[in-house]
Amino acid sequence: MHKTGLVFFPAFDWAIEPTHPEREERLLYTRDQIFEEGVMDLPEVAEMAPRLCHPHDILRTHFCVPDVASLTTEAHLIAAGAGQVLGDEILAGRLKNGFALVRPPGHHAMRVVHGNRGFCNINNEAVVVEYLRRRHGIRRVAIVDTDVHHGDGTQDIFYHDPDVLFISFHQDGRTIYPGTGFSHELGGPTAFGRTLNIPLPPGTTDESMLFVLENLILPVLNDFGPELVVNSAGQDNHYSDPIGEMCITARGYATLTSRLKPHLAVLEGGYAVESALPYVNLGIILALAGLDFDLVREADYPRTFHEDPARRPRLEKMVRDLLEMWRLRDQLDLSSIFGREEFFRQQKEVYYDTDGIEDKQVETVRVCKECPGYLTIDSRALHPDGRAVKVMALSVPLFACNHCRSLAYDAYAAARKENSLYHHIYLQDKSMDTFLAFDTAAGSESISEG
Amino acid sequence: MFIGVDVGGTCTDAVLLDERGVRATAKVTTRSELLASLTEALDEVTAGISRDQIERVNISTTLITNLVAEKKYDPVGLLLIPGPGLNPHTLNFPSPAHFIPGAIDYRGREISPLDTAGIEAAVADLHGRGITRVAVAGKFSNRNNSHELQARDIVLRLQPDWQVELGHQVAGALNFPRRAVTAYLTAATRERYQYFARAVLEALASRSINCPVFVLKADGSTCPLAYSVQKPVETLFSGPAASTLGVQALTPPGETVVVVDIGGTTTDLALILSGQPLLSSRGARVDRQLTQVRALAVHSVPVGGDSVVDRIGRELIIYTARMGLPYCLGGPLPTPTDALRVLGLTVHGDETRAVDAMAGVGGPLGLSAAETARRVVALFVEMVAREINLMFEEWQKEPSYSVWQIMQKHKGRHRGLQTVVGVGGGAAGFTAQIAAAIGCYPVIPPYASVANAIGAAVARPTMQVSVRADTQAGYYLILEEGVRGVLPAGASEEDVMALARQWLAKRSARYGLSVGPEVEVTQREVFNMIRDWRTTGRLYDISLQTTGGILAYIGAGGEFHA
Repeated sequence: MHKTGLVFFPAFDWAIEPTHPEREERLLYTRDQIFEEGVMDLPEVAEMAPRLCHPHDILRTHFCVPDVASLTTEAHLIAAGAGQVLGDEILAGRLKNGFALVRPPGHHAMRVVHGNRGFCNINNEAVVVEYLRRRHGIRRVAIVDTDVHHGDGTQDIFYHDPDVLFISFHQDGRTIYPGTGFSHELGGPTAFGRTLNIPLPPGTTDESMLFVLENLILPVLNDFGPELVVNSAGQDNHYSDPIGEMCITARGYATLTSRLKPHLAVLEGGYAVESALPYVNLGIILALAGLDFDLVREADYPRTFHEDPARRPRLEKMVRDLLEMWRLRDQLDLSSIFGREEFFRQQKEVYYDTDGIEDKQVETVRVCKECPGYLTIDSRALHPDGRAVKVMALSVPLFACNHCRSLAYDAYAAARKENSLYHHIYLQDKSMDTFLAFDTAAGSESISEG
Repeated sequence: MFIGVDVGGTCTDAVLLDERGVRATAKVTTRSELLASLTEALDEVTAGISRDQIERVNISTTLITNLVAEKKYDPVGLLLIPGPGLNPHTLNFPSPAHFIPGAIDYRGREISPLDTAGIEAAVADLHGRGITRVAVAGKFSNRNNSHELQARDIVLRLQPDWQVELGHQVAGALNFPRRAVTAYLTAATRERYQYFARAVLEALASRSINCPVFVLKADGSTCPLAYSVQKPVETLFSGPAASTLGVQALTPPGETVVVVDIGGTTTDLALILSGQPLLSSRGARVDRQLTQVRALAVHSVPVGGDSVVDRIGRELIIYTARMGLPYCLGGPLPTPTDALRVLGLTVHGDETRAVDAMAGVGGPLGLSAAETARRVVALFVEMVAREINLMFEEWQKEPSYSVWQIMQKHKGRHRGLQTVVGVGGGAAGFTAQIAAAIGCYPVIPPYASVANAIGAAVARPTMQVSVRADTQAGYYLILEEGVRGVLPAGASEEDVMALARQWLAKRSARYGLSVGPEVEVTQREVFNMIRDWRTTGRLYDISLQTTGGILAYIGAGGEFHA
């Protein structure tokens, strides 16, 4: 019998700030609950120790400005390393599935990282997925984000990757951070339909969430046929969460997990440290391990929530529309959405709430017939101290064609020549697992090779 | 002078230490009458000694281990208060349990009251089945023991003569299933252990030995015999703890070694890391069930010098069973000991019989007795070496919950094992080859055959106190005592530390031990509780213990050295 792997890394000596929601105390009561239940002793569960994620594995996913060391603490490396340990064991066939019950979280960390946004520096799931694709030769991965906040970082990182399906349901972006994740955000011209967003109104209950799961998420997953399913297991949809306004219960989360059957779940948000986390985390572990979670109950049980039935038709219509979009994803005339140019360009403004950084990006993807196309990001980050950091970042996809690869290298060389425009110039070649960084002021290049 | 006695399954070993070092040793066969073996060994080491010179006797015993392994105890009723969470039917308890409604949460708050009628019904059921011993354990009873206390009061009101053991009194750490098993084993063994303790005292009195008597616990520390009756399960596995401590005393301080104790039936492995025996992170495992008994991390490989050697097809194998003595010592079947005898790695036993045994197994494969013996030894060495590597890996993989701990481990990762120390009957024959198989140096220390008794003799009492304090809820708990007290508002970390020291002194005084200024802080967790961006209280988890370790190190000539 294969076990459920559990890495529990509560980072009891790490916090963003002493009173910040992302603080030492966050997983304390979860620790109490799962230790008292004897979860680690169950024959269905194998507790594993995390390892430190290597900076090279972070460069495969992120452009860290100016470098990895400036943006990560040991806690970040351990949180990402936890998913790597579990992923290795799962793909080697030694574990049935796994749960990285770790902090700090990561799903708001985007491709370019100037600082901390939404409590995140490093996108744990994205780092793990890119690492596993390189290390174990898998190709198709699905990431299902069940945090109350839109997983905008993960979406950003895989927006142009047709082999990574990203699905996020969350509280409607008009009512909560980060204000994105609408159903029209569907992926770039070379990965259209591989991003699906299901914004849900405040007050959504277990019943509606499971409706979305059964009628949209599971059919799409079944159709996509991923080799690995990752769940960004945020828990702030819980009815008692101080940040979110949803009405999901611990058993709702456990039921979701038991039906979604992710290979790897990674903790994201969830800040009701006492009233939700001990129960939701226990429920998720039991569901992954195939054990009965029917007796997992919050202290104020029985609490039941009802939604206004008048809201249901809207939800059903959104699910229908998205499912239709998914079916037609490769048949639609994309030029009506993205134009007919060789390069598709979009502008983005990224705000770093924790660090007060404003980043203006121009993202350009080559609409290539042979591969997902190389990506160029021109990023200008205004720091609260008035500093402006200008960055040029080039990304070559894992399954790049030779033409895109050579165009990206040419662009990198050209940017270095006219070096007065940028402080940092990066080339991330996922196809060769080689990452270059040029520091204009120092006039020096650093290379990280796998 | 100090005496150490290890009453093992095969032999009872004793040593006498005086102010200079080892003065006498004895090895006698353990007979069915444990106490006769004990007095015989005592008589041998104390010959010519005035009894009033003996300051202390330390005993390690397999009594509880065997009682439990052979299930020679009376039935125990299990009353569990699991509350919400994991379905308790998922768990395997040592006997059918009554699950009683009632719930406490992680902060010690009552979520739902105890179902007193449920306790009454369970008592009636147990009474009907003739059971008179009960273990009561509740989830989070270590944070709030009121349900367990209520349950006990109900049981004793209905059945005043019953024996009732409570989870929070025997197992204060988090882990409800282990707490239930520990309470169960306590209920199961206490009465028999009391007989044993009384008999030991009588045996010593009959030899006019009236000094303090201590019992070795699974964690390698000792406890006054009189107090060990409260938690007899703590003496589980004191045998392997004794040999580990013996090796600690017989090797230079600060070394990292693997202890290989090769007996007749099993080979016990333990780790000494930078001079300190490694404690198991999980607690002692009894009959496949984990307990909350603090124990050294001992790994038992089910092969020993008396295991049966056989041939299956073209392969030689070693069974994990003992069918009596080795063939060369008059036993029925070939064993690894016969292989050693053939190769001249031991001088015990009849050489001709050993050669016959090996030739009999290897002959049909076209192997000579010597070739067969070499293969058997290689097989044995391979089995043990594999387990050593596994054990070391397991230790390295043990989870840690803070950045600091993980970084410590990361830095220490490459400081591997260097030395294999062999003790026990098979040490002389196998140690060098086991060490070679894992790339280490072999050491067979002086007194290797009585290392366990030396370990018992050099063990010292330690006392722990674990305090949990919750300033928001205004209470503190002394986990080892099951005591709950009122915490003054605004208690600081210093206040909680002082409280822990007071309780450590109080507990130690009760056990007749003095607490020196040297106290070790074994756990120190302080969490700010933040609600709505303000600090509303603090949670402290502080554990102290009196400095443990061993009495002295013993040099090659049997003399003490610093």
